Amino acid sequence: MAILPALLLAAMAGGQAKCQQEPEKPTAQQILENSIDRWNRMSPEERERELAKLPPARARVIRQRIWRYNHMRPEEQQALRERYQTFSQLSPEKQQIVRRRLQEFRELPAARQPIVHREVERVRLLPEAQREATFNGEPFRSQFSPAEQAMIRDLSTYLPN
Amino acid sequence: MNCPIESREPEILVAYAAGELELETARALERHLDGCAACRLMVADQAVVWRALDAWEAPSVSPDFDRRLYRRIDDGVRLTWWERITRPFRPMPLRQALPLTASAGLLLMAGLLLQHPTPVAPAAPAGQIVRANQVERTLDDLELLRHFNAADTDQSPHPDAM
Amino acid sequence: MSDMGAAAIAALDYDAELMLRVKDGDGTSFGVLLEKHRASVIHFIYRLVQEQAIAEELAQEVFLRVYRSRSSYEPTAKFKTWLFRIATHLALNWLRDEKHERGQERLDDVSADLPARQVSDRRPSVEQELLYDVKREEIRRAVAGLPEKQRAAVLMHKYEEMEYTQIAKVLGCSESAVKSLLFRAYETLRARLAHMGNT
Repeated sequence: MAILPALLLAAMAGGQAKCQQEPEKPTAQQILENSIDRWNRMSPEERERELAKLPPARARVIRQRIWRYNHMRPEEQQALRERYQTFSQLSPEKQQIVRRRLQEFRELPAARQPIVHREVERVRLLPEAQREATFNGEPFRSQFSPAEQAMIRDLSTYLPN
Repeated sequence: MNCPIESREPEILVAYAAGELELETARALERHLDGCAACRLMVADQAVVWRALDAWEAPSVSPDFDRRLYRRIDDGVRLTWWERITRPFRPMPLRQALPLTASAGLLLMAGLLLQHPTPVAPAAPAGQIVRANQVERTLDDLELLRHFNAADTDQSPHPDAM
Repeated sequence: MSDMGAAAIAALDYDAELMLRVKDGDGTSFGVLLEKHRASVIHFIYRLVQEQAIAEELAQEVFLRVYRSRSSYEPTAKFKTWLFRIATHLALNWLRDEKHERGQERLDDVSADLPARQVSDRRPSVEQELLYDVKREEIRRAVAGLPEKQRAAVLMHKYEEMEYTQIAKVLGCSESAVKSLLFRAYETLRARLAHMGNT
């Protein structure tokens, strides 16, 4: 009979060990999950409950935008998810810097956007010393407005690849 | 043939523009159209409308439409456990359902006696509920990143914004 | 057809026969009906409410109601007529609720499920795309500008090729009322879209 408590204790210890078992490592897909993925996993009733908390017009627009995201070309969506994953791992301060610069980029004249974009991508690949030299150099200052210079500097520094 | 406009039966012109008239009726109408500018104009305009409506394509259906529908059907069936027993979702011929219904009746009585509470479809765990404004912020960030990605002239920007 | 018995209707309308099997517990027949009518219901509702996500949600509700009412189903009309009556009812209710929520905002002022243009696009083929988008937007607005019942009647007549009697049963009005709805609707559409014949 004395064995029984020992067996019980052993079982409890085993159970506790099982509870403390290291959780399964997330899959590659789970690593790339964002809030929209989690949203899609909610039931329709849960989604509608959340949307009902917003003004109807805003809720309607959000529904449309989610629908468009879910219907992107798969390869395009995957590339975007990867980039967003890296973005979301930046500190909140850096995220805010990148966000502000991307909004400013969006407001650039159409003709300037590809030029600024190419410069960001070019500078991003440079070593830091060379990058600083670029920013301080006359060609850079003459080719780009002060606002564009700030955009290129911050995006090349913080924007995820 | 009487003038459809004057005789207040213009729907025949709509049908003609849509190619819906039988051959003999269409030919009779065409003879009238030869001499009636008003009807000719209406037919021409209606044909433009028809072609325009033809060009208005609807978006494709989401690939998970059926899955979501069947899940809602399943959720609705699971709302009351005694309904699940007495009215099974899984299809079966009536001859098989009858004895089950009889058994279910007995269980139903037992259930009523036990006053079993109505189970409700479980909601997602609290940690998995995402706020709509959180989704909106993610969409905003994704759109900014996508716009920047697409600004390179070598890439093909997707026409749909998010 | 309204004078014919339910059995006669079912004999002529295969969909009604399928629905009677669903009533008997045959889930497979429900799947067949869903497969056959899913796209047309969603597209019909989409062109009515002009929002794809909403259209799919409402279409889900349509088929949910079809399924849930299986035990009381009687083929008093063609199955498609019944199906589109449910769809029209839900869509028009949603439109009225939305109109009430949005106050003075007009549906035809809302750019619905249309692609937003990339400002940076300057390639020649995009101009054609833009022209197509402008035309499609014009068509969408023209239809959105119709009163709701006229809109529903046009969509059933044009895209579903439903007869006047069928449309009348869906809308709960007389055949002559349907003719009147369609006449006024097409008259409005001709006024707004006839210029497209010149492009």
